[in-house]
Amino acid sequence: MDKKTVSTIAYLSRLSINEDNEEKITKDLENIIKFVDQLDAADTENIEPLASPLEKTAKTRSDNVSAKNRKEVFLERSPKSNEDYFLVPRVVE
Amino acid sequence: MSIQYKSVSELKTMLNNNDISNAELIKETFSLIKSNAKLNAFITLNEEESMNKANKLDNSPSSGSLAGIPIAQKDLFCTKDLKTTCGSNMLSNFIPPYSATVIKNLENAGCISVGKTNMDEFAMGSSNETSFYGNVQNPWGKNLVPGGSSGGAAAAVAAGIVPAASGTDTGGSIRQPASLCGITGIKPTYGRISRWGMIAFASSLDQAGPMARTAEDCALLLYEMCSHDDKDTTSLNEDVPNFSENLNSPIKGLKIGLVKEFDLSKLDNEVVKIFEESKKHYESLGAEFIEISLPNISLSVPTYYVVAPAECSSNLSRFDGVKFGKRCENPKNLEELYIKTRSEGFGDEVKRRILIGSYVLSAGFYDAYYKKAQQVRRLIKNDFDSAFKSVDIIMSPTTRGPAFEVGSKGDDPIQMYLEDLFTIPANLAGLPAMSIPNGMIDNKPIGLQLIGNFLDESRLLQAAHNFQMSTDWHLKTPTGIKS
Repeated sequence: MDKKTVSTIAYLSRLSINEDNEEKITKDLENIIKFVDQLDAADTENIEPLASPLEKTAKTRSDNVSAKNRKEVFLERSPKSNEDYFLVPRVVE
Repeated sequence: MSIQYKSVSELKTMLNNNDISNAELIKETFSLIKSNAKLNAFITLNEEESMNKANKLDNSPSSGSLAGIPIAQKDLFCTKDLKTTCGSNMLSNFIPPYSATVIKNLENAGCISVGKTNMDEFAMGSSNETSFYGNVQNPWGKNLVPGGSSGGAAAAVAAGIVPAASGTDTGGSIRQPASLCGITGIKPTYGRISRWGMIAFASSLDQAGPMARTAEDCALLLYEMCSHDDKDTTSLNEDVPNFSENLNSPIKGLKIGLVKEFDLSKLDNEVVKIFEESKKHYESLGAEFIEISLPNISLSVPTYYVVAPAECSSNLSRFDGVKFGKRCENPKNLEELYIKTRSEGFGDEVKRRILIGSYVLSAGFYDAYYKKAQQVRRLIKNDFDSAFKSVDIIMSPTTRGPAFEVGSKGDDPIQMYLEDLFTIPANLAGLPAMSIPNGMIDNKPIGLQLIGNFLDESRLLQAAHNFQMSTDWHLKTPTGIKS
């Protein structure tokens, strides 16, 4: 773990890291990664990964409209919207 | 008649006997909340609506099993038209347009949601110190943490302000604060309670549950909280048993497993002594102890700190300043909108976990970390499956010690992560687990953890209730709490 890696994963996470903190965060992440490296000790050959304790696949349901259109209610919660859309800064110049 | 420290069952009796009206009960609850405001257990109060509901119940009584009972809801559950922050600045202005299924279930049973409790930001923490809204004080000591992440919930119950609270548990967030505050809490089997409307942290681990003074109350609440929900694809479609039915049945012959790999010699002598006393107590109730081996259990915390951050980094990508929650001021472009909003809106621990998650999921590292952790997760689950062939429940201390002082874990995140050493395995395997008070160290409570087999909450609650019927640790109350 070095500063370059940290800045790459920070960008992937869409987070900025301020310079005063950079060293501390790099060290913390390095320690955490070292800590989880203990997993190397386990013999996991031919072991199927377990993603959820239930191991059930999602059930399908019939394609019926069950929810009312509550566009206004949801748009109201947005930091910026007009009557039809969420608004963000211009993407295409 | 004071309502402080009363259990749900006691308050129900008081209401039924007209010893107190619904309105008086709620008024008294708010008076307790306000006189103990320094605990900082609540982020948002729901006073007006609560009083209206109580008055309505006085005029037209309801038959719901929790009719009129004041309950504090963790601020992680969406509550319609009531601010829901998840302990974060990111959601400091968020008013959900709907309520979580579990909130609806509790309210349909008649309970009154009196307020939203403080918590570690996005449930990431074991001391409540990561909350944007400040630390919660443990009712047992001014400078003590209440544990986390359901710290506000645990403190509100421990101070006798409310008889019960909702919590959530991803790696121990119900059981660890229950242990540190001297209350009872249960995390049911993964899938028992709908996660719809719960703000997600790690979706394959998150599970809601009740926190209360007694196992009897937990049984009552759990029954109302559980339901199959089409809106949650991981919601179990299993019958919900009446968890209260067998509470009083004796536990003679109960086989309790003791985990060989839990090295108790590293714990404080007092913790070990208390644990041994509880063992003796269970023996006197007719239980039998069997040593079991969970060979991969020591890898639980490292497994968790890959799986949980990975799921967190994915879940928390929804906080982008576009659809709800906070947005930064004057972003120059869309990318800056995302980056500034997230950097301003999240606290340090949340950022740390998102970064770890992005790292372990990134190209080139996925197999070495995420896939590997999921494989070890299966080994841990297999260990439990084998163990439950020879035992009914598994017992351990809930925490390594009693409540610690604010700031005492320093700034080494791993020290805090190890706080959940005993609680994390049940989340990884999806098993039900609970904590009950079983002793005091220097006037600070500590808890006993009981882990059950898949869907076997009834047996856990029965074992806990039998313990509580013959001990009084769950009845201890802190001094210095305002009445």
